[in-house]
Amino acid sequence: MDAFNNFLTGTVTLFSDPIGILIFFGGVVGGMLFGAIPGVSMLTLAAILLPFTAHLSPEHGIMLFSVIYCTGVYGGAITAILFNIPGAPENAPTAFDGYPMTQNGEAGKAVGAAVMCSAIGGVASCIVMMAATAAIADWAISAFGPPEIFALVFFGLAVAASVGAKSFWKGWLSIMAGLMIAVVGLDPVGGLERYNFDMPYLAAGIHFIPTILGFFAVSEIFVQAEKKATGSYNAPKLSVDFPTFKELWQHKIAVVRSAIIGFFCGVLPGIGATLAAFMGYNEAVRWSKDREGFGKGKMEGVISSETANNAATGAAMIPLLALGLPGGALTAMMVGVFQMHDMEPGPLVFINSPDLVWVVFAAMFFANLSILLVGFLEAKTIVNLLRIPFQYLAPLILLLATVGAYAVRGLTIDVVVMFVAGVAGFFLRRSGYSVAGIVLGLILGKIGEQTFAQAMQMLHFEFSGFLGRPIALGLLIAGFITILASIYGAFFKKVPASSSAG
Amino acid sequence: MGKLTKGQIVEGAFWLILAAFFFAYSFEFNNNIEIYKYGATLWPRVILLLIALAAIGQLLDQRKNGDAASTSKIAAIHEDSAQDSQHNSLGWYINTFILLCLPFAYMIVPDIIIEKTGTPEEGTAKINIICGAVLFLAYIAISWRNHVGAILTLPLFFAAMMQDMGFYALAPVFIIGVMILMGERRPTRMAMVMLLIYGILIAFFVSLLYVGLPTGYISPFYDFGTWMVNTFQ
Amino acid sequence: MTVKKYLLNASVALAMSAIAGHAAAECATDSLPASMEGPDGYPERALTMIVPYGPAGGSGQVAQAMAEAVTGLTDVSINRDHKPGGSGTVGMTAYMAAPADGYTVLEHIDDAASAHALDSTKPNPADDLIPLVTSQITFSQIYIRTEEDRFTDWNSFVEWVKAQDGKATIANVSKEGSMERVTMKFITDATGMQIQQISFDKGAPRYGALAGGQVDALFEQPGDVRSFLDAGKFKPILTILKEAPDAFADVPDLVDAGLDFEPLLRFRGFYVNAGAPEDRVEWLKWAFQKAYCQEDYQAYNESKFMTLIDSYRDTDGSKELITETVAQYRAVYKTMGLEVK
Repeated sequence: MDAFNNFLTGTVTLFSDPIGILIFFGGVVGGMLFGAIPGVSMLTLAAILLPFTAHLSPEHGIMLFSVIYCTGVYGGAITAILFNIPGAPENAPTAFDGYPMTQNGEAGKAVGAAVMCSAIGGVASCIVMMAATAAIADWAISAFGPPEIFALVFFGLAVAASVGAKSFWKGWLSIMAGLMIAVVGLDPVGGLERYNFDMPYLAAGIHFIPTILGFFAVSEIFVQAEKKATGSYNAPKLSVDFPTFKELWQHKIAVVRSAIIGFFCGVLPGIGATLAAFMGYNEAVRWSKDREGFGKGKMEGVISSETANNAATGAAMIPLLALGLPGGALTAMMVGVFQMHDMEPGPLVFINSPDLVWVVFAAMFFANLSILLVGFLEAKTIVNLLRIPFQYLAPLILLLATVGAYAVRGLTIDVVVMFVAGVAGFFLRRSGYSVAGIVLGLILGKIGEQTFAQAMQMLHFEFSGFLGRPIALGLLIAGFITILASIYGAFFKKVPASSSAG
Repeated sequence: MGKLTKGQIVEGAFWLILAAFFFAYSFEFNNNIEIYKYGATLWPRVILLLIALAAIGQLLDQRKNGDAASTSKIAAIHEDSAQDSQHNSLGWYINTFILLCLPFAYMIVPDIIIEKTGTPEEGTAKINIICGAVLFLAYIAISWRNHVGAILTLPLFFAAMMQDMGFYALAPVFIIGVMILMGERRPTRMAMVMLLIYGILIAFFVSLLYVGLPTGYISPFYDFGTWMVNTFQ
Repeated sequence: MTVKKYLLNASVALAMSAIAGHAAAECATDSLPASMEGPDGYPERALTMIVPYGPAGGSGQVAQAMAEAVTGLTDVSINRDHKPGGSGTVGMTAYMAAPADGYTVLEHIDDAASAHALDSTKPNPADDLIPLVTSQITFSQIYIRTEEDRFTDWNSFVEWVKAQDGKATIANVSKEGSMERVTMKFITDATGMQIQQISFDKGAPRYGALAGGQVDALFEQPGDVRSFLDAGKFKPILTILKEAPDAFADVPDLVDAGLDFEPLLRFRGFYVNAGAPEDRVEWLKWAFQKAYCQEDYQAYNESKFMTLIDSYRDTDGSKELITETVAQYRAVYKTMGLEVK
């Protein structure tokens, strides 16, 4: 019961300090707001706030970022559902079913499901995090070296290729296009410039934030604008009709399954919530009796994706706090917060500043709980954004996206990249490609190539080396089985002419 | 047999040409890396090969089965774009392509002129401004009958000019431009909405959160940008 | 050498240097005037500091510490503009494009010198820029896990590596021609051992690889792995300097290990465009050099192991350091067969 006592102490510390309470609620509201405003994301907020944390105490700084992390991952679901604009890559699968639900006039139900499941996934993962951080972290770094992470990326890509595109070929072409975008910039072994066409700014590579904003936010504006130009624009239907408890209870298995998947993916450095959300969604499809219904507005899709990505947040804190190894962009910024206070996350933090650790754990627990309360209130307000006439909303979203894309690295090339991705997304979506697949390819491509190179260096350029690493081998086999299954499904198991041809 | 549509052929050709071009370009960085014998080219080349294979596979599949071929069981989710015949003709694609090239011309042409004429440091701003104005007029002329093309191109112009002219000076023009393209015509409404959006952005990001947005590099835009930053930050 | 002993040594050395710093208060720029008027009311607005790396890494942090020290000294605020990517080339390009009016300064590291050595069309930090101050200079070490039992010190490590027939591994950065990779080449040439380098572009996964036992050793600078050293997880087995600093007196240096090459240093400093008005540059030099001795900045440097060797160079000293470094790299690149433009 040590953990429980520590948790109580952390809670008391957190809520007995007025400044702490202020920062906690500031983080809760800020994360949700930036997550839920189309065009900017929690990463924008985090990048902006990072220099200010130098003026906070370390407890408050880390707590603020972890609270933003929890609520921001949830907030990104709101824009994914309402506007087809995922606030972060981990919200992309939420849009698969969430946006169709909005179009069917069920925005309230989708948002309600996201609120409930984000909170459940987050709280569950917090509990495991509190119970077992040190043990899990040690296991993860010694069991998961570059070969294992490469194998996991391969498995993840195999899974993602079968989600979201119109056909088998288009799914793979989407992923491959994303992998090619990731190649632009410096190569991960020798630092050679690739495909920057002698433009120095392109040597920085193509960042996933502007790309996501372009493929989702900007291209969505273009699609709606075309409809407006041709007179086929329909304002989205507004509803604040939240799901009943009974409706949610029907999906309890999906919630548990996604929470486990999310937690597992979250622990692995560099993979995190994005793959968690994709795998959660894909497993939901695979286990379902009604596969055809996915992508057309099925609540289970939203539930699976949102439970998984919030379950990954608590898990991602494990390698960060116990080993000093950040899993994604936001946790990397948390390392920066630590270092600004002359601290390094890692084993010493548990020894030197147990108070800090438990205040942060308590804050994350309550941040996830507060999603329930504040989230419902906020969702009711944010849904009203849909009331703004499109001709005024469009310039606002485009400019917010411009700020969001620029603020990440301070490069105007990122704004150009965003709008190019917007135009490309506009044409690709017409042809049935999956923009989410491209984005996942881009994110996993960088990790994939780097870990492949490291694995080859470690295994002395012999593929047989994978045979000696059972976890890597298992994941590679699982990846191949996934690919074979999707080939079988696409070419040999003909279903009677599917309803949505062309 | 023979069910390929023109669109499918163009699509397949696009992927194959793309793969071939990038494969050829990969020889540019085909250097040895001492500690990694696969070098910087193995990974992109394998991906390009797979792209080419998938593109050919898709073409063969479509030729055999038409468009219904190998549709995945998880239905397409993004079939919401209006497939209007007006926005599918060859003429429309060509017009739109020319439009989309204009912003990139702005990123390249002034530098070439400056280099060719040997313009001194002080004169470069003028060349940038003149090129920008000429290209923008060309944009208005070409997009006159291509509404969707105009919408796709305007943000690219905004982005391409931002490095030189800055966010602060361009944003108001951009807001009004988007509103006009979206069908708003009432001047007072436009002015009010413009001021509101611009005001929100400046108040929130510049005054409250100290975000350094691009001020631009050339006068008078640079001076306006730094003035805005100093006033509101 | 036991961990405890090493820690004791390190902390004693640190305490000594702290005492020396405070009691004698002999900091490099104490002789500069305590305040200085800028020319014609300059600076009348905030300065911008372009940082070619992210806010969380070593460069981002030194930029923040220095910016705050300058602001504390002069009341002129400094906005930091992070433009990471392309091993620092992106920030450099953006800096050279910005107006040279003395309102924009640049943070950069020795990568700018090695980039210029490889390709002379890239800006020369000693020539196209004016160094205001070099405020961090540090050295590299080779680390192993403390609990490692296959080898325990440099000699047994070299022996073990040779016995592995090229299959031993060391984690290093992923940039050909970088300080790290060139130094590793020096070491392997001098010892005659063959070791496979594994390339990591970010720090954290590199440290994780050693902590998790994925690699056998790690090449790094002490300030970056200080938490692992303090926690007793890693221990240094070789200091890549001719003469080890007191804090690492027990770790063999190049002379002890019998390795004969000129060690390359990592340095971080602040620059202004050489085209900026001269009187403004003079003021900036004063502000940045004086800020180096501000108490907060010194405390920061100490926490990053940046006081173990002399970390300060003024403008002329920095130019000398950069010019020497460029020449050194150019010579190495030629022997490595790299194409020097």
